[in-house]
Amino acid sequence: MAHMIKRRKSFFQKMRENEKVQSISTVVLPVLLGIVILALWQGQQLHALFHTDTFTLPIPTTIGEIFIDNLDKIGKNTVSTVVVALIGLILGSLLGYGIAVLAAVFPKFGKGGLSIIGAFASIPVVALAPVLNNWTKDVSKDASVRSMVAKILVVMLIAAADMGLNAYRGLTELEQYSEDLMATYAAKKRVTFLKLRLPNSLPYVFTALKVAVPASIMTTIVSEYFAEYITGIGRQIRENIVLAQYSTAWAYILTACLIGIASYVILMIVQSIALRNYH
Amino acid sequence: MKKRMRKLAGLMGVTVLTVAMMTGCGNSGDVTTSDTKEETDVETASETEKAGQTDDETEASDDETKQTALSDEEIIRTAAADGTVGNWGLGNEYEILALLAKYDLPTDYLSQDFTMDGFDDDSISLASAMTYNELGLVQNDYDGGYGYGDSIGIIDMNDQGVAMLEDNIFCKGEFAKENPETVKAFLYASLKGWEYAMENPAEAAEICYEYGSSVSAEHQAYMADEVAKLVNTDMSGNTVTDIGNMDDAAMQQTLDIAKKYVSLDDANASEKLQAMTLDDIRDSSYIDAAKSSDGTFTVEKPEVSIQLKWLPDAQFMGYYVALDKGYYEEVGLTVNIVAGGGDIAETTAVNNGTVDFGVTWVSNLASANAGGMDLLEVAQVFQRSGLVLVYKPENFN
Repeated sequence: MAHMIKRRKSFFQKMRENEKVQSISTVVLPVLLGIVILALWQGQQLHALFHTDTFTLPIPTTIGEIFIDNLDKIGKNTVSTVVVALIGLILGSLLGYGIAVLAAVFPKFGKGGLSIIGAFASIPVVALAPVLNNWTKDVSKDASVRSMVAKILVVMLIAAADMGLNAYRGLTELEQYSEDLMATYAAKKRVTFLKLRLPNSLPYVFTALKVAVPASIMTTIVSEYFAEYITGIGRQIRENIVLAQYSTAWAYILTACLIGIASYVILMIVQSIALRNYH
Repeated sequence: MKKRMRKLAGLMGVTVLTVAMMTGCGNSGDVTTSDTKEETDVETASETEKAGQTDDETEASDDETKQTALSDEEIIRTAAADGTVGNWGLGNEYEILALLAKYDLPTDYLSQDFTMDGFDDDSISLASAMTYNELGLVQNDYDGGYGYGDSIGIIDMNDQGVAMLEDNIFCKGEFAKENPETVKAFLYASLKGWEYAMENPAEAAEICYEYGSSVSAEHQAYMADEVAKLVNTDMSGNTVTDIGNMDDAAMQQTLDIAKKYVSLDDANASEKLQAMTLDDIRDSSYIDAAKSSDGTFTVEKPEVSIQLKWLPDAQFMGYYVALDKGYYEEVGLTVNIVAGGGDIAETTAVNNGTVDFGVTWVSNLASANAGGMDLLEVAQVFQRSGLVLVYKPENFN
């Protein structure tokens, strides 16, 4: 970069290279863009651009009113969606990590296992959800329970695949010579695993979670379409769209967005704490 | 060697998993791989049934005692207490809600998928069925059927006084105003198609089958017969000769039930629905003009389309017959029939101009208008509700 620096910098260049300005602009610019889009949306210029009307794309204030009017109902549906997504994510991640560990310890079989789980994850949720619905019919007499189990299983499979594939890389793609170094210490396999492989996989776990968290929410929402027991944000979106209640559907779409953003923020905070002492 | 072993082990693993999954959903009517197995199941079921009818006369009397044992009300109460009443939801559920409310029961129901597997495996003890579709699948033993015959019990929404009007013909209010001759011509030809289909249901079924049916030829024939009954019988069982007539009393009953049980989260829409009158959703002037016309129209828009409420089958035989027999051409229209059943509802498609006409249920039209759409019913094809609840008497002893 050095050879590009000129003696006299223009005002804009100075601003661009100022760290404070940079950190402010990374926040301000996206927010500004958001506000501009919202304004165009509210002013219906967006509708003209997309050749649509205020039924299919209701204006933000209408959506906001419905959102506030129905906080209770939205809250209940949010809880049911988040519970399924969270349990599915946790179980799936544990399963995926477990498979990755097995794959790292027994590489001969492990790679095969990982490809199978990857193959499962590539089945579309729309196909997987009805199959698991039928499969879990005998789990409980209570429809709300068996329906929840079916949804969790779908989320689990998707999350397990993300975690498995990433964690395996974390457990095996070690820094050069680090394995040899452990060997020169005459470290046992178990010690190598605990002191080298496990810590090395931590950032990969978060890489996996960054994909798995939004994916598990999306998967929950889609599998709610097919669930036997009627509940959740996804089901509400579908019901309202089929009944041509687009403003209400958008209030639930907004909820889905908020869940996604909130979970991402939480994940980022957890990551910054967990990786604080890393390297 | 090792490589091959690994491959073999992997394959084994996959097969074991697939088999485990398949056994879980073995009785699904949709899974093509299990079709052959299912056919034999159905055959054996019908065989045992026949055997039961000829050899065992006591079973017939048993059935009678079962039917008198529990009244419809008791069956509804039992199923509601168990939480095993089923419906598809998505705007199909209002008659069920009204029925449950009629007996002061909680208005919860299970979400039924588009097969009758839930009824078959008893997870839904009181399942929704349309007389012209699911009921036939439950009773008959042709391909895709479950072969229960007459052993099942049926609760009819018309008898229960909670019937709502279903399939109609509608368009956008603005469209009707700008293209009155087109609307009249479309109604004239469509009703002619329905009349022909009513007189010749078997031929109508064949025509539907040729136009890319979503169901088998046998089921199509069954559907045509049952749909005909809905078109020429009203809610109290009287014969209707005036096809497409918009009966005020029946429409009012439908709208009243809709006002009570359609819950809209949008406060504005909810208010609008409560204030709605029949004049906001239907206009009979077009069908009256079509009926008194001599069949010549000066259409404003010669190419029109109609979106169905569901996949193409004999539920919509009138339109397919009109197309096939050239009735639309006779009035100067080229008609494109668009299949429904996707997630872009017919109300939305008509309102945003993707299609010109649509077939929907009166309650769906009312809630769409409450949401701010400008839809207008111009004919009411089905004169009574096609919804029934089915149950196995042995589950209610």
